[in-house]
This record gives sequence, structure tokens and C-alpha cells, in this order.
Amino acid sequence: MLKAKIMDVQNTQSQMRKGVLEFCILSIIQKGEVYPSDIVEQMKAANLHILEGTLYPLLTRLKNAGLLNYRWVESLSGPPRKYFVLTEEGNKAYEVLLKTWNDMAGAVQLLTQNK
Amino acid sequence: MKKVININFQGRILPIEEHAYELLKEYIISLQVYFANEEGKDEIINDIECRVAELCDERLKKGAVCINESTINLIIDSIGRPADFEAQDGFEQTNTASTNSSSTHKRLYRDEQNKILGGVCSGVANYFGLDPLLVRILWIFLLGVNVLGYLILWVAVPSSSVKEVGGLRKRLFRDTDNKILGGVCAGISKYFGISVMIVRVLFLIPFIRFIFHFRHIHFFQFWDNIDFPNFIDFTFSPGALFVYIVLWLVLPEAKSSADKLEMVGEKVDLNSIKNTIQNDMEGFGKRAKAWGSEMYNNKKEERREKRNARRNKQSENGRSHIIGRLIVISIKVFVYFIVGIVGLSLLVALFGIGIAATSVLSLKGFILEEGIQSISAIGTILFFIWVPVIAIVTAIIRRLAGYKKSNKWIRASFVSLWILGWFCLFYFISSLGNSFSKHNQPTEQTIQLFNPSINSLSVNMISNSKYYENQSFHLSPFDQYGNEDTLFINNLRIRIVQSKTDSFQVTIAKLSNGKSIQEANEFASKINFNLVQVDSLLYLDRGIAIHKNNKFRNQHIILTIAVPIGKHIKINEQKGNNINLNFATWDEPWDKESYPYEKNKEYKMELKGLVPM
Repeated sequence: MLKAKIMDVQNTQSQMRKGVLEFCILSIIQKGEVYPSDIVEQMKAANLHILEGTLYPLLTRLKNAGLLNYRWVESLSGPPRKYFVLTEEGNKAYEVLLKTWNDMAGAVQLLTQNK
Repeated sequence: MKKVININFQGRILPIEEHAYELLKEYIISLQVYFANEEGKDEIINDIECRVAELCDERLKKGAVCINESTINLIIDSIGRPADFEAQDGFEQTNTASTNSSSTHKRLYRDEQNKILGGVCSGVANYFGLDPLLVRILWIFLLGVNVLGYLILWVAVPSSSVKEVGGLRKRLFRDTDNKILGGVCAGISKYFGISVMIVRVLFLIPFIRFIFHFRHIHFFQFWDNIDFPNFIDFTFSPGALFVYIVLWLVLPEAKSSADKLEMVGEKVDLNSIKNTIQNDMEGFGKRAKAWGSEMYNNKKEERREKRNARRNKQSENGRSHIIGRLIVISIKVFVYFIVGIVGLSLLVALFGIGIAATSVLSLKGFILEEGIQSISAIGTILFFIWVPVIAIVTAIIRRLAGYKKSNKWIRASFVSLWILGWFCLFYFISSLGNSFSKHNQPTEQTIQLFNPSINSLSVNMISNSKYYENQSFHLSPFDQYGNEDTLFINNLRIRIVQSKTDSFQVTIAKLSNGKSIQEANEFASKINFNLVQVDSLLYLDRGIAIHKNNKFRNQHIILTIAVPIGKHIKINEQKGNNINLNFATWDEPWDKESYPYEKNKEYKMELKGLVPM
């Protein structure tokens, strides 16, 4: 019984993380064209840890959903590298998510404070 | 010597060691399996491959000759293995159902992948979802009881090669992001999923108690049933400091993202194919590898010798060769076994001395002078005894954890602390010796007896059975029963001599040591020893009372009973009385007058000496 509860908490936790991760990635890309490992660095600086191995699938999914696009940029050291940028649709999605996030953050703040 | 091959990987030519190449290939396959059902699978894998290639290229640009195994492992760690992805975002929600069902059929297996000896510890760790290191440490601490248990489990429990083992991937790390001192508490709290403050308070309570009630803390008093609740003090005693230091030295710091995720320990799917691959990959993971390479280094030289030997023996046939090797191995096993046992018993002995010395420390106030002498005593116990214990325990655990190199800073600080311990020891011994160096000038006092011409005299101790049960080993009898300020010592000797008159005569001489003769005299004069006579019974105090302000300087009392010819004498000793008088034969060189006797036996004094009745 207790075990089931723990599983539920973990599930919720990972759901929360998952939603926030995508939003964070979008907000980083929204600031300008980035290379995936830079996303990892920026998130690490904000104390949000993500593995590159999880980032790539997320990027691909977002790209397939039409929110992202990429550009091949020539590099000095080797083959061209993929740089990601938000599409028009992605920008809109970002605005929506930002509003949702702000609303939710405010609500959560209120609810957790009024304990 | 390792074979290097060139590969064309995502548009880059990379020189790579063959083993590293195998690792890389396995990694890519594990990715393919993991993303098998993912839309855009090829693109994801392609992206990751590109990144790997780029990181490899960076390494080469920085001057690496070729890509070796450790480089590949580093790169894979930084990108993450499939198991880590799952722990991180858990986007394959469908797996949770299968996880539930599979975990109910949990069975104990020996973990072939992470084994040091037979894989029992890591199997048990897997079963209970613990860090194998934790189980191994526990196992070491309980050694002796469980060698047999280990062997039984080794034989009885099936190996994991029967079935792939999965489990909670959760490891104990030091969480340096939230540290105050070393991040040990934070790491523990993450591991058990409790608040940091709880762990910190548990570690701190004993220190607060330690400071305010030093003498009330009993170390490891498991030999003493009366003090049973004191095992709590064992758990949270200054032993906590010991535990903290060891954990600090032993636990790795959570550095990478994967570490940090592992520290919190999210559930990993038990039965999926991914986990199988993870086990394959992780099986040769850091620890095992570090362990292996260490062993490899150790044996390198032996191997070289063996190779030479082999060359000489080439003409002989192969069979003797194998037998020879078997003999070498079995001798080696035997030697390791012996060395291990000897080392372990030394460690245990040292540990025991440490505990005993620390408990005796509560008697400090009665023996040591305040100031440097006390400090040097504490320094001796701390640095001379405990530092090597911690050092050895640390070394063993670091070995178990598979650290390749010993940390030279740790070693240097241990050595310097130990040297400090030697200084403390020498100072302490010489200073203590000095405190005991001089004797007083004893004077004999005659005790007035009410009716000295009685026919017999019987000497008794005032019974203290209430305080002194049959406890054979009791280091601090006084501080448990409220007599905290007074220590009773039993330095009492009774001599029997022949009286020159027709009446009994009792004289008492007080003796003491001291730094100077004056001091010794002073200590001797402070000895307060009472005798009470009731008819033919003479009652003695239970010992020499030494007040806390009055140090123990080997104070002792010599009680001389002169027995007239034809009269009787008996020295009684109650059973269960902790105080043992020195009844033994009196053979001090200066003493020609007294007669040997046995306790609880009546004697009659005759002209030639004592005669038993």
C-alpha cells in the first residue's frame, strides 16, 4: 500500500519534471539560436540537471511537433553542427506556456504558503 | 599494448582503441534498443553520435593520442546511458505497470556483474535496493559472524547469470551542493528521502551531550546488561564523529548529472530490455573496472616474472604448466587469507584499545592534572589510537569501493596526525611518570582498640554488595550510581605479625606517590580510612576514598595486625565483594616479620608463626 503511494509520488514527480523541462528548453532556445550542449550548460547553471541523452529526443520531438527548427552551421573543427531555433509556432507555444507557468507558479505559491 | 583502429564516425576520422570501440558500439546498440519505439529514432541516435564524435574530436585536439576506454566512458557518462534517461524523465509511462508486477517476484541472486568475491553483498544490496558499498561496510563490521553466512549464501544463492538482476539504482553520495561540512548529512538525507535537518540533528545531539555530560556517556557498553539503554549512546555517541569522518572520506561526491539523479534514486524498470543492456554495460562499470585494473597492476609484476618462467619452461609440456599456475594461485590465496586475518585482528585489537582508552578517559579527573597532561592524554587517545583506526577502516572501504589511487592528501594528513599522536604519547607517559615519581615518608599510626586483650579478632569489610554486584569488568563504577565525585580504590594490604605483648595491636601506614616528596606526603595525609571495632569484630572501609579534587597517586594502606601468642585471627572476605584485598603471601623484601595466610580461615598465633585451625 505504502509502496504504491511512493510509486505515485515518483510518477507525479517525473510528470512535473517532464512538463517543466520542455518549457525550460523552449525558453532557452527562445533567447536565440543554440547548440544542444549549450542548453545543457545553461540548465546546469540554473541547477536543473539534464543529460544530453535525454535532451536530444526531446528536441527531436519538439522539432517533429513543429515548434523547433534547426540550421546547419559550419564549424571550424569538423562537420557542420545543428543549431536550434524556435519556429513561429514555437514562439506562440512559448508565450502560451509562459503565461500558463506564471499563472500556475502564482497559484502554487499561494496554495503552498497558505498552509 | 593495445590495438588502435581508425574509424570514420559521423564525418570524423577517429583513432580509437579496440576495447573502446567495442564499448562505443555497445552503447550505440543500447541506444537503438532504447529508442526502438520512438518516433524519429534515427535522427536522435544520429544526433547523439554526432555529439560523441565531437567530444572525441575535442579530446584529440587537446592532445590525446587516441580514444581509449576511459575517455569513452567519460563521454558516455556525460551524455547518459539509457537507464539514466529513464530515471531522469520517465517518459515511458507504460513501463510502470510492468514494474509493479515484476517487483513482486523479487528474488535474491548473486550479482555477477558487480562482484568482488562471490557477488553476495551486491546481490543482497540489489535485493533490498541498497548501495552495495553500504552492505559491504556492514559486512566488514560484522565480520567473523558472517564469514560462514557468506560462504553459505555463495553456495546457496543462484548467480545472476541465471537471470538478469535489476533493482533500484540508488547510491550514497556526498551532496556538496547542500553541504555545511562535507555534505555527508545532505547525501544521507537524499538517499533515504528525509529532511536534511533530521540527519543533522541526529549527528549533532551526541556532540551537545558530549560537551555537557562528558562522563555520562558510555561507550559500547554492551557487556553490561544493566546499562542496556546505553546502546543508544553507542549509536549517537561521539562515535557519530567517527562515522562522519569515515563517510566523508569514503563517499564519492555527486558531480555529474547522472550522479545527482542516482543520489535521489529514482526507480528503474526492472525487467525491460533496456535494463538488461544497462546491466551489461554497468556490469563492467566504474567500480568493477577500477577494482580490476588495480588487481591488474598488482599482478603485473608477478605476471612478468611468470612470463619469464614460462619462457624457460617452454620445452616442458603444457600440463605441468597449468599445475604450476594452480599451485601459485592457491599459495597466493592462502597468503592473502593469512595476511587478511592478521590485519583484521590487529585492527580489531586497536579498535578495542581505542574503546577501552576512551572509556577510561572518564576517570581522567581522578588521575590527571589539569592542563597539558590532560590534553596530551586526550591527544594520545585521539591521534595515536583512533587516527590509525580511521585510516585503516578508510583504506579498506576505499579499496572495496574500488578507488584506484590512494589520496595522497588523506594519507599525508593521517601520517602527520599520527606523528602528533606519538608526541602526545611520549609527553603523556613522561609527564604521568613524573607525577608518580616520588614516595612519601610513611608514618605508622596505632589504632586504639577498645579491648585489646580479646581472644580472637575477625577482620571484615563493610558490605557493599548493593553497589558491587558480581561485575567482573566495570570501568566506571562510580559515575553510574551517583558517587561521581569519589572513586574507591582497593590498595589495601593486611599484614599479620606476632605481638610482643599479650594484646592485639593494629597499626596503619598511609603511602602515596607524588611529583615531589611534599606532594606525596600531602596526598598520604589526605587518605581517610576508617576502622570500626565491635567486640571481636573489626570492620574496615570498602576502600580508600579518593575525591575528585584529590588525584589518584597510587595511594595505599598497609594495615599491620599484631596478634599475641595463643590468640586467634581471621580475615573475612565477602563473596561478591568487588574489593580484593591483597591476601597473597607477603614477600616484600623489607618485610621479615609478617606471616602468610589465606582469607576466610581462622588461624592461631603460636611462637613459630600462624597455625591454621
